Amino acid sequence: MAVVDEQMNEKKEWEPKVLAFCCNWCSYAGADAAGLERRQTPPTIRVIRVMCSGRIDPAFVLMGFLEGADAVLITGCHIGDCHYVDANYKTRNRFEFLKEFVDELGLEPERLRLEWISASEGAIFADMVKEVTENVKKVGPSPFRKSWKK
Amino acid sequence: MGTCYLAWATDEKIRRRAANGGFVTAALVAALENGLLDAVVVVKKEDVYEGIPTVTSAPEVVVESAGSLHAVPVNLTKFVVEFYKDEKNKGKKIGLPVKPCDARGIIEQAKRQQLDINDIYLVGLNCGGTLHPLNLREAAAEVYGIDPDAVVKEEIKAGKLFLTLQSGEERECKIEELEKKGYGRRDSCKMCITKIPTMADLACGNWGVLKGEEATFVEVLTGKGEALLKNALENGYIKVKEASEKSLEVRERIKNAMVKLAEEWWEKLDAVKELTRDERLKFYVETLRLCINCGACRTVCPVCACDDAAKCVSMHDERDDYVISMYNVIRLLHLMDSCIGCGQCEDVCPVDIPLTFIHRRFAERMQRKLNYMPGMNVSEKPPFYEAELQWHDIL
Repeated sequence: MAVVDEQMNEKKEWEPKVLAFCCNWCSYAGADAAGLERRQTPPTIRVIRVMCSGRIDPAFVLMGFLEGADAVLITGCHIGDCHYVDANYKTRNRFEFLKEFVDELGLEPERLRLEWISASEGAIFADMVKEVTENVKKVGPSPFRKSWKK
Repeated sequence: MGTCYLAWATDEKIRRRAANGGFVTAALVAALENGLLDAVVVVKKEDVYEGIPTVTSAPEVVVESAGSLHAVPVNLTKFVVEFYKDEKNKGKKIGLPVKPCDARGIIEQAKRQQLDINDIYLVGLNCGGTLHPLNLREAAAEVYGIDPDAVVKEEIKAGKLFLTLQSGEERECKIEELEKKGYGRRDSCKMCITKIPTMADLACGNWGVLKGEEATFVEVLTGKGEALLKNALENGYIKVKEASEKSLEVRERIKNAMVKLAEEWWEKLDAVKELTRDERLKFYVETLRLCINCGACRTVCPVCACDDAAKCVSMHDERDDYVISMYNVIRLLHLMDSCIGCGQCEDVCPVDIPLTFIHRRFAERMQRKLNYMPGMNVSEKPPFYEAELQWHDIL
């Protein structure tokens, strides 16, 4: 019983919710590779698969924050490797806007991250999720999660 | 910098009606009468507090509308866009007197393929700022101590606001004084740094006109501007002389003083400057919470060009009950690269959200970072849409 209690108590520690948009052609497979290689990935991550990182409208990211995500990750193919030739340039361009927007709005910059991860980089994917989870744990739950008085 | 002239209308009637020299009115009338333009957009005066944008091809109407209306902070961009939406108006050449924010709005719409900039002759007017009609009414009652409805004329001269009563009596007050008391120019105008419309075809105004001269200072900026000036000159509607060194100097000095004042105002009006990150978020949430989703800010916005299927509308659902609605979030994001700070959104907001300030906070930092000013040049595409292809990254 003591063991169970301990585990229960451990579970009570706050775990952040990390939303990750993964490109079908690289980072989604990269996340898969991390699993195949039996790398430990924190259970904080929620993956949404998109056909290309260029499909990620900045509004999706902001909606994620408003829905209560503690951090949002955008992952895509390395520059020059895009399955659709140049769509990740657009991602990069939009990310510049998002970064400024999120900072101005009053969210910590740690909550938003853009990373280029290819299909074979499972280790990098796992490390990144670990890093983001740790960083977000430091800054605490998203301010959008707390109840705002009407 | 283009060639600068001092110009004045030859017609006595125009000169008397219009402010300083009547060049703008004369040039537009000349263009209409000689077939350079098909129509002119003017703001028809109803009273001191109200004017209605009108398209006209009658020179009399243009002459009638001469003179400035400081308390009618209308932006003509959406009016022009609506004009060109009508199939029978396609390809028509129009001319209009514009404030810098009108010109920038029209250029932004041209970038978004809503109109053809080659059809539009922008006669730019130097602008020190406009007044909100309700604010002026209050000021008339509180500061000037007169009945707002009795005011028949307002004029700004040498930093003073003159109000003329029906009886012919004239009252004056320094704009600086007014602004100390919370009246005076609109907030967006106080912090606007585009005082001379260098993006238009002509830049006209009385800055640089020396004492004793009755003329308009004109800077010719484009080929279209030159055509307007030439047409008026060759047909005898105006007379010109080259602007002297001193004129140029005076104009530059006034401009610099206005820009400096604007920067000081921006510092003063920056409501979240001293706040921490959390407090800033709280400020944005609590002010944008007041939004009743009427959509008026989107309708008047001179740079918005989406139709009813706009993302800010289609992704918004009131049932989501987000602390900041998707409508506001998307609008703030999309205007980061294109907000020109005209203040129309704040003017129409029924719940008085300080929208101009909030939009400026987001836009200012992005535009500075990109070193991009919207509405200055048709060939510069909005950076949010134009993903820059840097092929040298690959090759």
